[in-house]
Amino acid sequence: MKRKLKEVVKVPLSVDERWDLIEKISKQTVEFGAYKHTLKDAIAELTVKPLTGIPVAIAVIYGFWSFFCDFAGTLFTDGFMVKIFDEHWLPWLQSFFLGGLGNPFYALMVDAGHIEDGVLVASDNCFEAFGVLTSGLFIVFGVVLWAVLAFYLIFAILEDIGYLPRLAVLVDTVLHKIGLHGYAIVPTFLSLGCNVPGVTATRPLETRKQRFMMMTLLAIFVPCGAQIGIMQELVPELMGWIFLTLAIGYLGFGFILNKIVLGKSPELIMDVPPYQMPTLRNIGRKLWIRTSRFLLVAVPFVLLGSIIVGLMYLTGAMDWLAAVFGPLLMVWFGVPSETVAPLIAGFLRKDLAVGVLGGLMAQGIMTTFQVFTSVVLLCIYFPCLATFALMLKEENWKEILGSFASLVAMVFVYGGLIHLIGIMLGVA
Amino acid sequence: MKILLMGHPNVGKSVFFNRLTGAKVFESNYPGTTVDFMKGWMRLEREDVELIDVPGAFSLEPKDRAEEVAVKMLEENRDSVVVCVLDASKVERGLYLALEIIERGYPVVVALNMWDVAEDKNIRIDVEKLERILGVPVVPTIAISGEGFKELVSKIKDAAPVKIEKIIESVGAVSAAASTGEAQAQGGGESAAVS
Amino acid sequence: MEKKLSEMDFDEEGTVKEIAEDLRAKIAGMGIRVGKNIRMATKQPIKGPVVVEVDKSFTSLGLGIAEKIVVEVE
Repeated sequence: MKRKLKEVVKVPLSVDERWDLIEKISKQTVEFGAYKHTLKDAIAELTVKPLTGIPVAIAVIYGFWSFFCDFAGTLFTDGFMVKIFDEHWLPWLQSFFLGGLGNPFYALMVDAGHIEDGVLVASDNCFEAFGVLTSGLFIVFGVVLWAVLAFYLIFAILEDIGYLPRLAVLVDTVLHKIGLHGYAIVPTFLSLGCNVPGVTATRPLETRKQRFMMMTLLAIFVPCGAQIGIMQELVPELMGWIFLTLAIGYLGFGFILNKIVLGKSPELIMDVPPYQMPTLRNIGRKLWIRTSRFLLVAVPFVLLGSIIVGLMYLTGAMDWLAAVFGPLLMVWFGVPSETVAPLIAGFLRKDLAVGVLGGLMAQGIMTTFQVFTSVVLLCIYFPCLATFALMLKEENWKEILGSFASLVAMVFVYGGLIHLIGIMLGVA
Repeated sequence: MKILLMGHPNVGKSVFFNRLTGAKVFESNYPGTTVDFMKGWMRLEREDVELIDVPGAFSLEPKDRAEEVAVKMLEENRDSVVVCVLDASKVERGLYLALEIIERGYPVVVALNMWDVAEDKNIRIDVEKLERILGVPVVPTIAISGEGFKELVSKIKDAAPVKIEKIIESVGAVSAAASTGEAQAQGGGESAAVS
Repeated sequence: MEKKLSEMDFDEEGTVKEIAEDLRAKIAGMGIRVGKNIRMATKQPIKGPVVVEVDKSFTSLGLGIAEKIVVEVE
């Protein structure tokens, strides 16, 4: 009876043929007993329902942020690292390093010092010193490392528990309106740690359009953990405003991009897995891989960056650039011409850039609003070199050019807009 | 020979990978994309064999870049044995992927992972019968505790390609041996629907 | 009664009747197929995605995708 049917089997089977076969196999081998709904199932559903899920999501993100600040900012950076670097490392280097204040090599490696009442004085903290061995190392090991570590730890836990797909479902409503998936929350979130893995995580987005949009938005509007760590250290009181401005830009600019970029924005098809107990080993492994990768990228760039910025100061190149770009920065964005220095540093590393900005702030030449504008500008004007290199690898030059063009237009429009709002509010 | 670890996302594939490989693992990048995958070595009969953790996929009909890469990696490693990791509490869905891989002619070992979860949910799977029908080794595993791994590793060498016609035939044969005449007639009717 | 999956109410159950041709292979791997019992687990407001349950697995689908699936409900 079956023999003559057998000849007609075509490989591969069609979808329906395959499912028919599976159902027959399952009927003979699997026995589904009575199933009781457990507390876990109830929680699994409650956290994805809008009425209960959205408050939970807000609580999760708030908890994430508090842990980030307490663990990285207060405990490690303020509690240990600032003391170690400012009270021991900096004075120790200042006491024996060759040259001394005013010597170019000393300025480059240890302390450039700053002019106070016409006299060159030594710095008393690692943000201002601006030497490779002081600010450079402090940025990486004093601040950024802990921020990134704290971030990846919680991210890995949320990932392994299986919470992220639920978050994705909850935000899909909003993100779909700007042509993205709810899943875009994962690369966005991951980028808050470092944009490099963030760009990598754009892979589950379906179309070129979505990946292009996502990368452009990530590169422009999502500050990385390194940058956040430094900002949190320098301007904690402005963080809310900075994030709000960036979020508005992300959604608004995403909306525009969705209208002008050709291509499809297919809808979400996503598995929502059950919650799982994370294993220590897996989290440890992820944490190790991500953090060590981060250090591999960050350390050379920050150190090299501080050398380049230091050299530009020493040779007068920075003053020249400030003179050339100063008027543009002053008139259009409303920030002082000195901001040119952090913007240059920002090409290499965002954390370094905010660090340079911190040095300027300490000298008291900027108003609060100018600091705010500069920090936002730094965030949006160019992705760091590592992110840029990865984008080049992922997309062809045409798309990069498109990304770049939209970036330039974006910076001018958005930066100008912030300035304008500042003028209207009377704070600029 | 290489061993490819395939399966749905979130079935504990990475825990699997960590257990099977030693300390020497690499995260690499699939050429021309940003899709990452893990690569390592496992000990198999006094030999070190390369083990690749293929990005998670629901089917070989790709719907995103990660699944595209999964399919490409499968196609590029024609001489591999595929360890297909299924969620034992969702066997049917997992078998879909497993069958797709078998249809393409790869030797497959099926790991019914999260066996404990399936037991908690009162799902009982007749492993021997499943093995007989599919014609490939089937091993229950619990990746988190390491249960079933020894057996899994020992069965990799038994994996051989199976023709899908053979599976269709054995489903019929097993049902014929096990059921009453009435059920048999029903089974015949169903296989007519298959073709 | 037949209706689109997108029109199902929260917690309503039904049987999958029809899936648009271009969608069938895409969601087959997630276990959604004709003849299966399907439950609307959650619906997000303002045209957001739905989450459906098939064989104890949960899958989220955009509303436009849910419109391409026809379900038979009592």
